Amino acid sequence: MNEVGIPLLSCLIAWPLLSAMVLGFVHSRQLAKYLAIIVAAIELLLTLIVVYRFNPQNETLQLVEQYRWIELLNIHFEVGIDGISVWFLPCSALLILMLMLSAWNAVQYFRRLHFALLLALEGILMGVFCATDMILFFLFWELTLPAIFFLIGLWGIGPQRRGAALKYILFMLFGSVPLLFAIIMLAINHVTQVGGSIPQDLAFSFPVLLLTPVEDSLQPMIFLCLLLGFAVKAPLVPFHTWLPTVSMEAPTQMTALLIGLKLGLYGILRYAMTLAPSAAVQYSWVLGVFGAVTLIYGAFIALQQSNLRRLLAYASISHAGLVVIGITSLTMQGIQGALLQLLSFTLVTSSLVLIAGFIQNRLGSTDIVHLGGLAKVMPKLSVFYFLFTFASIGMPGGSSFPAEFLLMLGALTAHPSLGITALVGALMCAAYSLSFARRAFLGQIVHKGVAQLQDLRPREFALLCIPALLVLLLGFFPDVILESHRVTAEAWLSRLVNQPIFNVTE
Amino acid sequence: MDSLSIFIPLLPLSAAIILGIGQLFGWLNGEKTEPFTASLSLTALTLSTLLAISLLIAEQYGKTDGSYLAGTWFSSEVLTVSLNFITTGFALHTAVPCALLLLVSMLFSVTHLHREAGYHRFFFVFNLFSAAILLFLLSGNMLITFIGWQISGVCAYLIIAYAYDQPIAAFNATRVFMTNRLGDASFLLGIGLSYTWIGSINWSDLNQSIVDLALNEATTLALCFATAAFAKSAQLPFSPWLTRSMEGPTASSAAFFGAVFVHSGVFLTIALRSVFEQSAIAMTVLLVIGTLTALYGLIVGLTQTDIKSAIGFAIITQLGLIFMECGLGFWQLAAWHSVIHASIRAYQLLTAQGFIQQTQGITASLIPSRLAKIRWGYVASLQRFWLDPITDWTLVNPVLQLGKDLSYFDDHIVNAVMGAPAPAMNALATLAQLEEHQTGTPSDTEPDVFARGSGFAGKLAEGTSVILQWIEERLMLRGIHEDAILGGRHIGNIANRIEQLLLRPRYLALFVFITLLAVF
Repeated sequence: MNEVGIPLLSCLIAWPLLSAMVLGFVHSRQLAKYLAIIVAAIELLLTLIVVYRFNPQNETLQLVEQYRWIELLNIHFEVGIDGISVWFLPCSALLILMLMLSAWNAVQYFRRLHFALLLALEGILMGVFCATDMILFFLFWELTLPAIFFLIGLWGIGPQRRGAALKYILFMLFGSVPLLFAIIMLAINHVTQVGGSIPQDLAFSFPVLLLTPVEDSLQPMIFLCLLLGFAVKAPLVPFHTWLPTVSMEAPTQMTALLIGLKLGLYGILRYAMTLAPSAAVQYSWVLGVFGAVTLIYGAFIALQQSNLRRLLAYASISHAGLVVIGITSLTMQGIQGALLQLLSFTLVTSSLVLIAGFIQNRLGSTDIVHLGGLAKVMPKLSVFYFLFTFASIGMPGGSSFPAEFLLMLGALTAHPSLGITALVGALMCAAYSLSFARRAFLGQIVHKGVAQLQDLRPREFALLCIPALLVLLLGFFPDVILESHRVTAEAWLSRLVNQPIFNVTE
Repeated sequence: MDSLSIFIPLLPLSAAIILGIGQLFGWLNGEKTEPFTASLSLTALTLSTLLAISLLIAEQYGKTDGSYLAGTWFSSEVLTVSLNFITTGFALHTAVPCALLLLVSMLFSVTHLHREAGYHRFFFVFNLFSAAILLFLLSGNMLITFIGWQISGVCAYLIIAYAYDQPIAAFNATRVFMTNRLGDASFLLGIGLSYTWIGSINWSDLNQSIVDLALNEATTLALCFATAAFAKSAQLPFSPWLTRSMEGPTASSAAFFGAVFVHSGVFLTIALRSVFEQSAIAMTVLLVIGTLTALYGLIVGLTQTDIKSAIGFAIITQLGLIFMECGLGFWQLAAWHSVIHASIRAYQLLTAQGFIQQTQGITASLIPSRLAKIRWGYVASLQRFWLDPITDWTLVNPVLQLGKDLSYFDDHIVNAVMGAPAPAMNALATLAQLEEHQTGTPSDTEPDVFARGSGFAGKLAEGTSVILQWIEERLMLRGIHEDAILGGRHIGNIANRIEQLLLRPRYLALFVFITLLAVF
């Protein structure tokens, strides 16, 4: 499959991890910063090469690599990408690069450690998206925790940062237990299906597990466990309370990552729906209702928020609900919209959080009581803020518009009431975004401190130009993304909708 | 020939993009660059007007095909969103006067806004608006039409918030945008339903297959688009936004809210005449809403004391009449009425500032004395029939209150149940020490309390032990005592509070809404 023979995906995972270690030995702090940026830029290039090498017409896993790892339990180091995961790679690489640039001067101490941790996190994220062995996936999934824990705990901007870091870890561990449980259940189910014995016939490989029929009695249990694991990370109501806390306490670049990168939704899409397909179809409406509740609940609370970072956290919860509604519609529009929305969401919301970070760096607060009339003193920042805000409420021109339209269409064809809920959610989204924008950016300057604020510096300006351009480009040409995952999405959907019926007809 | 149609919206759009980038990078700023901005905008809009006119002429001589397919925007399964344009009939005939009116308003603004701080911004928005409206008029596809519709709404927001440092302007802009957004949601629902029922989102397919639809489906579709049109054209109950929109500069009031913007709802209705004609209910709704709005505009207009508000209510009245004509089936009349009305309003608003001088010495004609004696009518007129307070009371406040309640619920109940580790400093002593060591600021180093539970499981264990301890101490050891009575009272209070909350109309409405959704 890989003609040249370069293990591209392994490189993708190993390069930032190794560089992170090397970074520890660099003595000059300044040099470390530049090195980190260069490493992240090369990583971005590598991910783009992966995208270039990816063949969208092929629905199977591509660029597959398989190495022996834990022979005894039949666990392999197995990586590969398909249409669902391919765009997440450049997206997260770009995001990490943006985070580094935004944290350029904001990080005051342990600079080397900070950049090294970010790089390590990047490698781990690549692992999460590339891994096709469930145990390997789980390993990377869990490895994100220590990196994020230290990033929040050490460089957080809130007084409760360590508490927030702990809260994050505990929540995630709470989700991991059922996830691991589900993975083990799947592996054991494989043993019973092939009539083999433990441990020789255990299977953790994702493609193998996809082909293994799962007993009907086990399906709901597996689906529920996987869902629980991913719902915490997504986050879906009521497992969302870590996100607002973390968004207030964590450094803004980490908030941008946690709010922007929707690992949980990726997990639901990739694993929860496909590994227990009949339960997923059967209970898709329950999940849809969950999504709808999350959508409306998040939006209502966002309406009451006075702090931009907290508002964005709830907005992100609300948007996660919308994506879930799309996934559970089990239509092509829903799934394609969901995938597009996940990418677009990363760009738009992360940029908004970074903007919040710029305000925070200057003013020491993103709360409405300290703002007001920002547009007068920071016209450039305000332009970007409004651009991304309009994009996030699904205005045409932005990348969210085609995504939200597809999501809404999918939901409307599958469950009309969920479609209408999605529309109500879109309305609420405009309400909370614009009412905050009105109070913070428009109107008169009330505080002296605001009047002396400096507009975007060239570095920040250039940094925001990239996502702005991408958001507009994706908004004008969404077909680039839609076309690249069409075949995979079709396969995904047909697997769920046209699944053979096991153990029922007998 | 037809392929020219794509350039009609594209030219102002390009101008807008250039102006936008120029301002963002600081190249267009101040008085020196004003001529560039003005000439670029005027050239773009003049060219697209000329294109529209030449298309019109070509159509008269039968040289056009009536439609032009520029390509596919995106597709998903059977859904294909194509970029196609209508180059004939009502769409083209409306596009020409619209472009002309926009051009006139733009010419006016070149001098009117001279040396204004937001000169370049205004022209950016104006170009974007022109592109949006022309796209809206000419598109042969619901989604692209919707894009034009939506972008014009964004432009309205930006133009009303032109003097953005005035809180009232910002507030009005937000309010107008939200009102329009209600209509947008309805439009989007219409698109979604038409895709579900017809399988296409092209206007021509809708107009053809509407006859095959069941009556209730046709009615639902028509009502969706009608609601969208009502919101955009300031019909009841959305009317109050129009007077709020007069906040922007005069030229924009003329182009947006006098001439073009408010008529887009009318245009949508007339373009969908075949859909409306399928359903008697939808026609009746058009008639009733149109009539009521006309009366509303008339009565409220009588007591207005400033020129822009007076014109605003006159616009509402005329728009109501146009919808009335649509409801009665006089489509041709409605089309003519709207074009003529748009032209007159544009003229009137552009000259509004000189109006006082022009009419000096002319006394306004008084209303009939019989009408003047109706005191409650006067109050109602002055209060504009309390439409804004009613909206606040029925929609805005309940939503905000619900947000407040949920916020409280989230902070105090969900968060507490899911576990929030409080002893941050203590539990993470190592991390804290590391940081203190680095920053050199020793903080309070209380002894670690590792025994304290945190998170869900921890709290659960801690809570169980506390409860058992409580039961042991209070109930077992002391027996039922006064504490029990107090506790009972406390529980009763909480239950009362919950019940009171649930009895609030907002929850009742919410439950009804959820029930409806579940049934649907």
